Amino acid sequence: MSQTTLEPPPDVESEQIAWYRNVETLRIVGQVAAVVLVVGLLFWLFNNLLTNLNRLNINTDFGFLSRPTNFQISFDEGFDPRSSVWQMVLVGIKNTFLAGIVGIIIASIVGLVIGIARLSSNWLVSRLATIYVEAFRNIPPLVIIIFFGFAIFTFGPFPVLEEATQISWFGSDNTALVLSNRVWGVPSLIAEDNVGIFWAIFVFAIVAAVGVAIYRTRLSDRTGVLHHRVRWALGTFAIIALAGHFIVGGAFSASWPVVSENGRRIDNGFVLNFGYISTTVALGLYTASHVAEIIRGSILAVPKGQSEAANAIALRAFQRYRYIVLPQALRIALPPTINQYLNLIKNTSLGIAVSYAEITLLTKTSIGNGRPAPQSIAVLMAVYLLFSLTISFLLNIYNRRIQLVER
Amino acid sequence: MATETPFTHIDPDTGIAIPEVDVPSQKLPPGEWLRKNLFNNWYNSLITVLLTIGVAYVSWRVLRFVFVTAKWEPVRENLTLINIGTYPRDEQWRVVAQVLIWSGAAGLGIGAAVAGAKFRALQAGMEYVVDPALAKVKRYSGLLLLGLVFLGFTKTFGPLILTVVSLAVAYALYWVASRVAGHNVGLLWAGVAALMVFGFQIVSGFFGMGWLWMGVPIAAAVYSVIGRNETIEPRRLRLIQIGAALGVLVVLFVVYLVVDSVGVEWDEWEGFHLNLLAAAIAIALSFPLGLLLALGRRSSFPALRIMSTTYIEIIRGVPLISLLLMAQFFIGFFLDTRTPLSLFTRATAAMTLFTAAYVAEIVRGGLQAVPKGQTEAGNSVGMAPWSVTRLIVLPQALRAVIPAMVGQFISLFKDTSLLLIIGKIEILGAREIIHGQEAYRGFGIAETLVFAAFAFWAVSFTMSRESQRLERKLGVGER
Repeated sequence: MSQTTLEPPPDVESEQIAWYRNVETLRIVGQVAAVVLVVGLLFWLFNNLLTNLNRLNINTDFGFLSRPTNFQISFDEGFDPRSSVWQMVLVGIKNTFLAGIVGIIIASIVGLVIGIARLSSNWLVSRLATIYVEAFRNIPPLVIIIFFGFAIFTFGPFPVLEEATQISWFGSDNTALVLSNRVWGVPSLIAEDNVGIFWAIFVFAIVAAVGVAIYRTRLSDRTGVLHHRVRWALGTFAIIALAGHFIVGGAFSASWPVVSENGRRIDNGFVLNFGYISTTVALGLYTASHVAEIIRGSILAVPKGQSEAANAIALRAFQRYRYIVLPQALRIALPPTINQYLNLIKNTSLGIAVSYAEITLLTKTSIGNGRPAPQSIAVLMAVYLLFSLTISFLLNIYNRRIQLVER
Repeated sequence: MATETPFTHIDPDTGIAIPEVDVPSQKLPPGEWLRKNLFNNWYNSLITVLLTIGVAYVSWRVLRFVFVTAKWEPVRENLTLINIGTYPRDEQWRVVAQVLIWSGAAGLGIGAAVAGAKFRALQAGMEYVVDPALAKVKRYSGLLLLGLVFLGFTKTFGPLILTVVSLAVAYALYWVASRVAGHNVGLLWAGVAALMVFGFQIVSGFFGMGWLWMGVPIAAAVYSVIGRNETIEPRRLRLIQIGAALGVLVVLFVVYLVVDSVGVEWDEWEGFHLNLLAAAIAIALSFPLGLLLALGRRSSFPALRIMSTTYIEIIRGVPLISLLLMAQFFIGFFLDTRTPLSLFTRATAAMTLFTAAYVAEIVRGGLQAVPKGQTEAGNSVGMAPWSVTRLIVLPQALRAVIPAMVGQFISLFKDTSLLLIIGKIEILGAREIIHGQEAYRGFGIAETLVFAAFAFWAVSFTMSRESQRLERKLGVGER
């Protein structure tokens, strides 16, 4: 009996599947169950929160935001205690960004240098860079910030403000730097009356610079001349802006820092407090160790054939790095680096330990002054969240773009 | 299959795939080595000379600071304060017992890992290679240095004796565990878990729900041992297994009911001990939570996916301090309890919730790296979806992300320093107590900070070294 008879396939349609074994039903039931569970949990949590807040007679609305703060922000004489909590939040956001941006600049420069140094053919250079990375990334950033804030400033080698070290500007009578253990004074620019016209010229300079850059690019495309567009654009901008400054007869004048008569504060110039310097420098150095690792990884991730091809067409080491390796490496490095920048901005909240008046410290102080904690922290989180989500949204768009470009 | 493509190494911190190039490491004669690595052209020679001078000067300054000018008295006189803060002094024996028990757990754990590796090597028909002693010393150099510095600062013999005894306990358990047959490794891990819980409870006390934490690893071990019996008919065996496991739980429940001893309040755990404990607990709790979140984010159920994604993105968008402030001020209000939770519990909960989101993203990365064919193969042999995930996808995914996970845990450990900001006396808080003393006001500020930084560095550095070794050993990405 070698003949095999094919059984007719069982009629799936006619066979009733019990509802509790039907995948389609189970999918819906499972999801509904999950949603009900989570929503129920959230409802329970918030119900508890409201009950507890009512029990303790704590307001549950956001009305406190428009009432006065009633406290002074340290190192910020311009802040009026009568201004509203909203304005305090804005000051906090401004300070967070001031620290974040300078920290990012420090982290990028130091990180790029250390990252390239880690791959140096010079044994000593790469060893020192490795020591830097291993030292900084294994220490909590908070410890580094406190070290700057208290071991270098406050109790450190700098004198108190009355006896501040004053460094003059290359032989002139003006003090360029006032260094003390709490505040530093640096020169700043003060806008004169005619600054309005200058800003108009400034905007024109930017437009002209962009125009020149576009022209150089087109010229290069047409004739093959090296475009040098950055050099051209910066040159155009500098010439027009400087000319504008002199034409309007000096839009800015320098303001030199001076220790006040009673030795309590610094008049004129721009005043940096120790919290700000500690937070930016410490976070810059800490994040640099992570950026360095990213740079190193990205350079290694560029296929070796690229370097070999560059060698084959007799590019010098500098040209190889500048035109072949780094452009490709930076493309790989960008997403993780931006993550590090985000981390840095979130880490500026550690400035709280050196009483730097960024948003977290101000929120905590304001809670200490009797503002309701849940709403205050909700505002704090919303600020950070808004920023993080915007950046990661932009990053996702960018990622999708480079993926399209790369097949 | 020919391995034509170069091995890639995924950098755990950055997620960048680096093609690994085999550099033949050849020993050069000293003169040649110098010329090749330090003086290969004029500018490198210049850099080398300048840097040598700089390094010599800085090293001289650092050495002079450490051994001559530094005022170490604030550290030396307050070692206990740094280690355990203001923890009640007449309960110190509990910490000593904990150190001994956890050393035992560590020894048992390393032994279990070795036994497992031996077993796998045997199955694969390969020889198990023991690391040379020098490599081990190098790997643990951070911790060894920390131990030496600690012992160098102590004035009595107590800490030295404790160190020697705990090392002896660890080695004894290691020796036993590493000789256990491969199929019993699971039992060893249950033992590690039970010892960890026991070490925790020796300080916190044996009360409340403690029986459950203690009971789960033991019951699992009992269940698995009975399951080995092949003479009993499977269905009856299953009943006996469940009965025995439940029996263990019941016995422990009764024991805890009878003993009912409260140890030291959680909020009294302080100093570096607190940093280590908080990190350990948050690691243990955030891993399962993160795993669930990652599976949720990859789920085919849109509802689960949206909820997990929302949670992960919100948590990752805010700094840990904001969650800790929440813990300080009102996290307890979310629960229906009139008795406030201890600040330690609230802070650890905040750190767990925070880390879980990051763990979830790491695990998700691992899940994405598992080729789709693996799932399809599992489906095609008729495995249930959950079994496919549990037996095929997860083991591969988790193996691939171990280094990144360790990196996240290092970062969690470093973040325990933030407990300072909500007023917990961890190592930096203990420092503030030291400088609050009349004798050390504004004195030795840099020294105590350097010491605290060193303590963090030693632990983090050792963990990262260990993860690099694990990564090489597991051959992550080498497929």
